[in-house]
Amino acid sequence: MARAPFLFPARDKTARAALAGLLPAALLLTSCAAGAAAGGDGEVQEGGELVYLDAELSSNTQLQSSGTWQDSAYITNITDRLIYKNPETGELEPYLAEEFDVSDDGLTYTFTIVEGVTHSDGTPVDVENVKRNLEWQHDGDPDQGIPANNWFPSIESIETDDSAQTVIVQLEEPYAPFLDVLSFWRTSIVADATIEAPIEEQQQLAGIIGSGPFYVESETYGEEIILAKREGYDWAPPSSPHQGEALLDTITILPVTEDSVRLGSLRSGEADLIRYLQPSEEQGLIDAGIDIVSEQGSGNANVWDVRQSAPFIDDVDVRRALQSGIDREQIIEDLYTDSWRPAKSVVTEDTFGFEDKSDSLVYDPERSNELLDGAGFEEFDSEGYRIDENGERLSLLTYIDVFDATAGPLFQLIQLQLAEIGVELRIEETDYSSYSEVIQDPEIATRRNGWPEADPWVRQTVNYTLDEANALFLEEDDSAAQELDALYHQQLVQTDPAERQETLADIQEILVDEAFLLPILDDSQVFGVQPHVEDLAFTAEARPFFYSTWIDH
Amino acid sequence: MSYTPRSIISRILQGVLVVVLTYVLVWSVLFLLPGNPVQSRIDNPQNPIPEDQAEFILAYYGLDRPWYEQFTVAVGRLFQGDLGYSLGNGHRVTDLIAQGLGETAALAVLALLLTAVFAFIVAFTAVFAPWRSLRTFIRNLPVISLSTPNFLVGLILLQIFAYNLGWFSSIRDEGLKSLLLPAITLATGACAPVAQVLIQGLDRASGEPFVNVLRSSGYAPQSIVFKHVAKNGSIPAVTLLGLTIGELLTGAVIVETVFNRTGLGFVTEQAVRSQDGPVVLGVVMLVAVIYTAVNLLTDLTYPLLDPRTKEVAGTKKTGQGVSETDDPRAKEHEAEHGDAVSAEKGSTR
Repeated sequence: MARAPFLFPARDKTARAALAGLLPAALLLTSCAAGAAAGGDGEVQEGGELVYLDAELSSNTQLQSSGTWQDSAYITNITDRLIYKNPETGELEPYLAEEFDVSDDGLTYTFTIVEGVTHSDGTPVDVENVKRNLEWQHDGDPDQGIPANNWFPSIESIETDDSAQTVIVQLEEPYAPFLDVLSFWRTSIVADATIEAPIEEQQQLAGIIGSGPFYVESETYGEEIILAKREGYDWAPPSSPHQGEALLDTITILPVTEDSVRLGSLRSGEADLIRYLQPSEEQGLIDAGIDIVSEQGSGNANVWDVRQSAPFIDDVDVRRALQSGIDREQIIEDLYTDSWRPAKSVVTEDTFGFEDKSDSLVYDPERSNELLDGAGFEEFDSEGYRIDENGERLSLLTYIDVFDATAGPLFQLIQLQLAEIGVELRIEETDYSSYSEVIQDPEIATRRNGWPEADPWVRQTVNYTLDEANALFLEEDDSAAQELDALYHQQLVQTDPAERQETLADIQEILVDEAFLLPILDDSQVFGVQPHVEDLAFTAEARPFFYSTWIDH
Repeated sequence: MSYTPRSIISRILQGVLVVVLTYVLVWSVLFLLPGNPVQSRIDNPQNPIPEDQAEFILAYYGLDRPWYEQFTVAVGRLFQGDLGYSLGNGHRVTDLIAQGLGETAALAVLALLLTAVFAFIVAFTAVFAPWRSLRTFIRNLPVISLSTPNFLVGLILLQIFAYNLGWFSSIRDEGLKSLLLPAITLATGACAPVAQVLIQGLDRASGEPFVNVLRSSGYAPQSIVFKHVAKNGSIPAVTLLGLTIGELLTGAVIVETVFNRTGLGFVTEQAVRSQDGPVVLGVVMLVAVIYTAVNLLTDLTYPLLDPRTKEVAGTKKTGQGVSETDDPRAKEHEAEHGDAVSAEKGSTR
C-alpha cells in the first residue's frame, strides 16, 4: 500500500508530498466507495436520527480483548485516536496528536497532544491521560483479566512534558508498524474512568468513554444502542473536510440478526442503513431504489492457510496444484458481485508492501494436473479422486469459517473446483462456540483467515511465526519456517520503508509461490443505504464513520 | 388421587430434588463441553491473544481451577443469589434473565390467552359445528398448524402487517402493540396440540351415556355442551395448556429472533451460541423451576375440575365423589364418566 511510511513527522510536508506520489492508483479506486452514497445536490443539513441495523449485536467492547467487527465500528465513532489514517490516501496524519515525530534510530516517538480536548465525561485528554492509555495498552491489566495489546511494541519508557504538551515514548527496539497501530480502533484513547472500570463494564459500549464525535446515550442489551452527538466536538483530524460537531443528532443502532427482517425493514423505509447483505440480495435492493455501498478494508486478503500438519500438503507441488486449481474469477462471477475482487496477493492492493502476485494465482487446471501427476497421484479411484501409490485418496479436510457469512457457498464452490483436478475437499461444519477448539485439529488442511487491519504484517507476524500462533503448523526445523520467521521479525524493525518493502515482497513470494497461503478474494463490507443518507464515510479498515454523515430531509 | 399435607410436601420435595439434579447435570455438561466465550475471545482470529496473556484471563474467570473448586464457588455464589456475570458480554446474569423474563412473560401471557382462545374455538367448532364439512375442515387445522414452522407464520405476518400495511414496526419496541404479532405467531403453533387433545376429550365426553341422560332429562343443548361436556372433556387439555406455559416461556427463540425481541429465548440463543456457561445455567435453572412449579400447580388444580380428587374429611371419594352438578338426576351417570376421566388423566400425564 501505499500509505506514508511511518518515520516522517506529520509536519514534514516535503516528505509527505513525495510519498503521496508513490500511491498506486488502485488505492484511490478502493477507498472511495463511500462516494456511492455521498454527493447529494442539496445543502448539508444538520440534525435527525440515523437508524442503523447491524447484522450482529455488540458483544464485547473491551479494547484489548475485543475483536468483533460491529464493536470496532461503534468504538470508532465514540473515540478518537492519536493518529489518523486517511482512508483516501493511506497517509498517517495528525489527530489527537497534532504533531508526531520519530527519531532517526526509530526508537523515540514524540507526540504533541492537541489542547482543549475532553472526554465525554468531562475529563481532559491531556498528556497524563495519553500516557496512561499507552501504558494500559502495553501492559494490559492482569488483575482484571485484561490482556496487553499484542500489536504493541516493547516500550522502555513513557515520559510526559506538561508545558510542551508532549508524550515521549522510548522503544526497546525499532517497530515499523507503531504509528499504524496507533491509528487503529483498538488503540483508541479512552478516559481514566474506563481504564479503571472492571472488565465487565468495559465489555459494554456504555462503559467506553472517549472523546469522539458521538457518545453512548443509552444501551439496552441486544435491543438498541443510541449514540448522541457530542456537543462542542471540535478536534476532528485536520484533513477531514467536515469540522466541528457531527451533523446527525443521534444514531440508533438496532441489532437485527434475521436477514429477511433487516432487508424488509430497509425496503419499508424503517431503517436508513443496514450492514451485511448476501451478494444475491444486492440487485433486488438496487431495483427497490436502495444504494449499495461496498467498502473494502485495507489489510489482509481473504486467504486460506494451508496447514502443514495435515496429510499430503507438506508436498509443495500438491500445494501449488491447489493454488492453480482455484478459479478466483469464477468465484467472484458466480457467488459475489462487483463489490468484491479476486485476491492478487495475501494482502489487499492498498496495503503497504503489496506485491502483485496475480501471475502465481492464475487458474490453470492443466498445471495442477501435471503437478499432481508428478507428485505421485496419477491414479484415480472410482469416484474420480486421485489416489497415491498406497491407494489413499488425495483428500483434504476443512471447516466452514464461522466469522465469514459468505463462507458456505464459497467453500462449496472451491470444493467443486478442486474436484475437477481430482482433489477431494471434505467440508465439515461446527458452531460458533466450538469453532476455535475444533480448528486446533492438526488434520485440518485449510482454514480461512485474513481480515482488514491497520498493519496486516503485524497480524501475519502473530499468525505465522513459530513462537506465536504458528497457524501454518510449520515444524521448527523446516527451512521455509525459519526463513519466514526471520523475514517477519526483520520487517518489524526495518525503519527504512524501501528496505521493509523488499522484505515484505520476499514474504509474499514464499507465502504465495510456495502456496502456504491460498489467497481467494479481497473482502468487502457491504451496506444497503437509503438514498437520503449522505456522506457516509469509512475508516481505512472499512468501519463506518458517521461524523460527516447527514440526512437529506 | 388425593392430597394430604404430607403428600403435598412430598411433591414439593420431589420438585426441589428435580431442580437440584438439573443444576448438577447442566453444570457438568457445560463443564465437559469444549469451548466457552473466554476461550473464543482468546482464539478469535481477528484478535488472537498470546498464551501468557491468556493465562491472566483464564485465571480472572477462575477457569484454570479444578472442577470441584469451580463448582463450589458457583454453588456458594448461588446461595447468595449471585448467578455471576456473562462470560461473553459482561452483563450480570440476573440482569439478563430479568430483562429477558420481563419481555417474555408479557408475550407468554398474551400468547397463552390466545392459545386457549384459539384452541377452544377450533375444538368446539370441530366437534359441535352443525355442518359436517366445516367440522372435517376444522379438524385438520391443528395438523396444518403443527406442520407450519413458526418463523414462516411470523414472516408472513411481518410481510403483511409491518412491511406492506405499516401497522407495526418490525424492529422497534412499541410496547404492548409489539406483542400482538409474535403472540399470534406463538399461539398459532401452541394451540394445535391443545386443540387436538380438546377435540378428543370433547368427542369422548359427548359420546358418554350421561349426555344421553342429560338430553333425555330435558337439558338445553348449550347447557349440556358448555356445562357438562366441556368440563369433563377439557381436563387433559388443561394439563397440556399448563405445560404450554413452560413452552411459551422458553420456546420463543425463533419467534423472538423474527420479531427482533430480546426476551428469554433471545438471551438463551445468544448464550447457547457462545456457550456462555453462567447464562445458560441461569436460564436452564429458571426453566427447570418454572416447569416444576407449573407441574406441581397443575397437579394441585385437578381437584378443582374433578372434585373426586378432593379429600373430604380424610375420606377418599375417588370414583363416587362429589358431583359438580347439583342435580341428582345426572349424578350417577356422571360418576361413571369420572372413572374414564381418571384413567385418561393417568395416561395423559
